[in-house]
Amino acid sequence: MKITWNWLGEYVDLAGLTPEKVATDLTNAGIPVEWMQPLSGQVKDVVIGKVLTVEAHPNADRLRVCKVDVAKGDPLTIVCGAKNVAPDQNVPVAIDGAILPGGKIKRSKLRGVESQGMICSAGELGLDARLLPKEQTQGIFVLPQDAPVGESIVSYLSLDDMVMELELTPNRSDCLSLRGVAYEVAALYGRSIHMPDAVVKESSLAEKLPLSVEIATEHCSLYTAQVVSNLKLSASPLWMQMRLLAVGTRPINNLVDITNYVMYEWGQPLHAFDYDAISEHKIVVRQAHTTETVMTLDGEVREVSSSAILIADPQKALGLAGVMGGRNSEVTEYTRAVVIESAVFDPVSTRQVARQLALRSEASLRFEKGIDEDITLQALARAAQLMETFAQGNIASNSIAKSTKIVEQRQVKQIAVFVKHIQSLLGYAISQSEMLEVCKRLGFTVRVVSDEEFHVFVPSRRQDITIEADMAEEFARLVGYDRIPVSVMRGQLTAGVLKPAQHLKRTLRNFLLDRGLHEVWTYSLTAPKVLANVLIDEGHPATKMGMLLNPLSEDRVGLRTIVLPSLLEVAAYNSNRGQKNIRIFEFATIFLPNQIPMLDQPVEAPHITGLLSGQVESVGPHGETRLFDFYDVSGIVHALLTTSGIAQDQISLVRSKEPYYQTGQCAEIYSKNVLIGSFGKIKTTVTECYDLQESFYFDLDFFMMQKLIKSDLTVRELPKTPGAERDLALVVDRDLPVQQVVDAVKNSAGHELENVSVFDVYTGDKVGADKKSVALHLVFRADDRTLTDQEILAKVETVLNVVKDEFGAYLRF
Amino acid sequence: MLERLQAMKDQALADLTNKDDIVALEAWRVMYLGKKGELSTALRSMGSLSQEERPVVGQVVNEIRAVLEQTFETKRSQVLQKAANEEERRNQLDITLPGRTPFLGAEHPLQKVIRRIEDIFLGFGFTIEEGPHVETDYFNFEALNLPKDHPARDMQDTFYIHSELLLRTHTSPMQARTLLARQPELPVRIIVPGRVYRRDDDDATHSHEFTQMEGLVVDHGISMSDLKGVLLTFAKELFGEHQQIRLRPSFFPFTEPSAEMDVRCIYCGGDGCSTCKHTGWIEILGCGMVHPHVLTMGGYHEEGITGFAFGMGMERIAMLLYGITDIRQFYMNDLRLLDQFTQIAR
Ligand SMILES: [Zn+2]
Repeated sequence: MKITWNWLGEYVDLAGLTPEKVATDLTNAGIPVEWMQPLSGQVKDVVIGKVLTVEAHPNADRLRVCKVDVAKGDPLTIVCGAKNVAPDQNVPVAIDGAILPGGKIKRSKLRGVESQGMICSAGELGLDARLLPKEQTQGIFVLPQDAPVGESIVSYLSLDDMVMELELTPNRSDCLSLRGVAYEVAALYGRSIHMPDAVVKESSLAEKLPLSVEIATEHCSLYTAQVVSNLKLSASPLWMQMRLLAVGTRPINNLVDITNYVMYEWGQPLHAFDYDAISEHKIVVRQAHTTETVMTLDGEVREVSSSAILIADPQKALGLAGVMGGRNSEVTEYTRAVVIESAVFDPVSTRQVARQLALRSEASLRFEKGIDEDITLQALARAAQLMETFAQGNIASNSIAKSTKIVEQRQVKQIAVFVKHIQSLLGYAISQSEMLEVCKRLGFTVRVVSDEEFHVFVPSRRQDITIEADMAEEFARLVGYDRIPVSVMRGQLTAGVLKPAQHLKRTLRNFLLDRGLHEVWTYSLTAPKVLANVLIDEGHPATKMGMLLNPLSEDRVGLRTIVLPSLLEVAAYNSNRGQKNIRIFEFATIFLPNQIPMLDQPVEAPHITGLLSGQVESVGPHGETRLFDFYDVSGIVHALLTTSGIAQDQISLVRSKEPYYQTGQCAEIYSKNVLIGSFGKIKTTVTECYDLQESFYFDLDFFMMQKLIKSDLTVRELPKTPGAERDLALVVDRDLPVQQVVDAVKNSAGHELENVSVFDVYTGDKVGADKKSVALHLVFRADDRTLTDQEILAKVETVLNVVKDEFGAYLRF
Repeated sequence: MLERLQAMKDQALADLTNKDDIVALEAWRVMYLGKKGELSTALRSMGSLSQEERPVVGQVVNEIRAVLEQTFETKRSQVLQKAANEEERRNQLDITLPGRTPFLGAEHPLQKVIRRIEDIFLGFGFTIEEGPHVETDYFNFEALNLPKDHPARDMQDTFYIHSELLLRTHTSPMQARTLLARQPELPVRIIVPGRVYRRDDDDATHSHEFTQMEGLVVDHGISMSDLKGVLLTFAKELFGEHQQIRLRPSFFPFTEPSAEMDVRCIYCGGDGCSTCKHTGWIEILGCGMVHPHVLTMGGYHEEGITGFAFGMGMERIAMLLYGITDIRQFYMNDLRLLDQFTQIAR
């Protein structure tokens, strides 16, 4: 919403105030002034001149030599390049030494003829050329014939004005008008408001034209109309054009400009219909029929839904209420009389229709936010009066008002305010008299009930105020938010502690950071096409993606079901920038719909994922480092599970069948038949597509992990007896998973086996092609005594017999 | 005999001068001072001497032995010292050569900011709640006093799944969810960090996904001055002891009164610069007193129960704290940027 300083000054006394001060104070009161700038750049010594003669330039086809009277001394000789310059025009003339937004004007010779100034275009005066009619932007700016020759253009065009852009919050639609802002300024400084009083006297009716109105929908609470006849369509007065221009509206003609001007002044959108286009002189406000069409002012034929409100006559639609008028009732130069409409349409319907048709206008914007019904008739009268004055019209009917609301509904809102409530809500000892003073400044009437209570009667222009808390804000903002003190919150003590899952997340994040992995954040929104990059085909659960109804770009159409593509993209981005060592992790959420298409809230599963690619350590002067391999990612995952309190004997590994993993170098982690994650090498066909070296991925389901966590810890007593250590090298089939050998040893060595660990695996000629040697380190210990050699030998014997029976294993010598 | 001894002594001393390692020295000692060495041989041959000569020669031999032994010891300690010095020099490392440095992982800047702010509010006795990204229209809007077709819904362009299901546009739905889950329990003191979504084109200052932190306190007699107190302490903790805050009236459908909070510009300290558009203040968060409708819908009906709420953008704060100028960088994860966060940072 734009306003200008001088325009505002018509409705509220600004004496002793500066635009800067008012802008600051409005901002601090919750009407933020986003920016403020002069209507035009600096303009000096530009006066209105009358073109006397126009002659050809002796040396240039495109230039003309004009004599221009500026009512001061002899006429000036000015060389002009504009095609539209003609004798008898009034034009802006920059005389020698004049200043324009584009620079200083000096007398100078143009192709041999001295020019004593410049005839200016609208653009050269700093006016917004985009909003001006074409004829005013192509060539010089031709002024009306009654423009006083010799007068300064700055005062004639009111260029010495300030434009302010208000960044209104959605609740303050009352400030979508000069009137509303004037009330706000009046409240700030305790001044009074003076809106133009426009009551049309019935006695002024010269000719009476009949008109009737019928409201046939509940979505129009008030409809007022008035007929004005004998109109002369022309340009509106320049001051009106300049004001519309300043607030960003294109001047069109006097009738349209007047409706716009009154809208900005009062906040009430108006529309003018051609009186003769209305059959039976009857306006019917009704809902659209299904599949009804309306040709709007812009010439488009629009099919509207039954939720649209139409302005119609008994035979046809005349326009879309509150959104756009119809072509069939448009005001043209042949218009004899118009019907001015000033009405209140339902905000929700207007908003829906404007959105559906993508036709949001200054008018629909105001209807959407709600109109002050108290001024609907006043705005109508004001427009009629302006048409009388600036379009030579005659008022040809009384104002007609139809309302669907019963009188009680239109009663003034009354809010009970309790002094104590306000004081305790604000934490500030504002007195009742201070509150009453604020009400007075706001123009709200009050009824004091007691020292503790009073009632506020909120005028209909402030639709945002409905409850006591709204009044608390009015008091706070008008005494100043800075008056509210700082206090310490009281009440029961609460422990600010992390929940177990939050604590675990922090621990695991630190674990990964300490392992040298960088934390990354990637988008949740993705597209199904990226799944193909990681070889996921139809039928894979990850293809069940929740899709957006209204995506913004084709890359972000649905919610991700897997994190891997996001991490590969990060790796590729960095690889393309010369990074060869990539160690990243993300705590990401994936979205698993309960059904496709997604109908209800999906399972939002937090996953701990990571990608390793490149060297294990930084390259230094201390010898070769090596590249990450399967056992690095395996080690990280196992240590991470240990950190989480998930014991190694709770989990088992199974070869993964995920399509993106390299066959034979990937694992799924199960605990009690529940899948909690996977890790492994990404297929080189995938990594090559992303321009990456060998890459290793892990993906842990944090929800599943949480279910397994045992966070209570009771330490085992430290042993009091010595342990006996034995190493065994067992030769087994090469394909046999080592874990099976370890499990068999654990199960057969008896309870005095304290620990068994793998310390070497050998394959090669010495054990035969299909075999491998697995070196195990066994520790035996009894709590109460030292085990004898014979006892241990017997246990080892048992172990050897079992692994021989189960796997055909034998000792390697 | 005496001449021969004297010559031997001279010879021995001359021999010793060029012995500079411990093996040659030992050989020299065996040769001259050993049991079968020259001095011992000389002593043994004293039997052939006369009674008068014996003591004289014996004394000379003892004198020579003393001189040779002393010279030898001196020489030996010199050689040992030299060897020790050499050993020491050989073991000297270039301490400036880079060590085997483990890779350092960096916490994501947004996570860093979240953790810091979480820690501040944990200290105030708040707990942390997290909520769903895919929200119902009810919790994202209606329970926050934003009925269908409320014009303020335009403030936030929303990604919809269908007409009743959407991606949350703010972390505020957790206000409503927490109230319903906890009522009638008091006090409620929570913060809610989390990802939110807006239907915005990505550019330097907009991101279709970003991160918010919500705060909510509900209790008997909570006032706007309490809100100011909590926010001032928070601002001092996050931006420095000398921080000041300023509240300006604003509008949020779920708070009344509502405010924007500014802090003193952390770049110019309030003198005015381009970052603060020469106002000396920087907008940090939106806040206000919980709207009575929100409390009622959340199940808190009793008079005298009030609350405050606030919400802030993590990207904005991280951009201010670390001088990041493009919001997209948080989601690009350029390792050259992340590497800079391996160090401790406020
Ligand atoms: Zn600054």
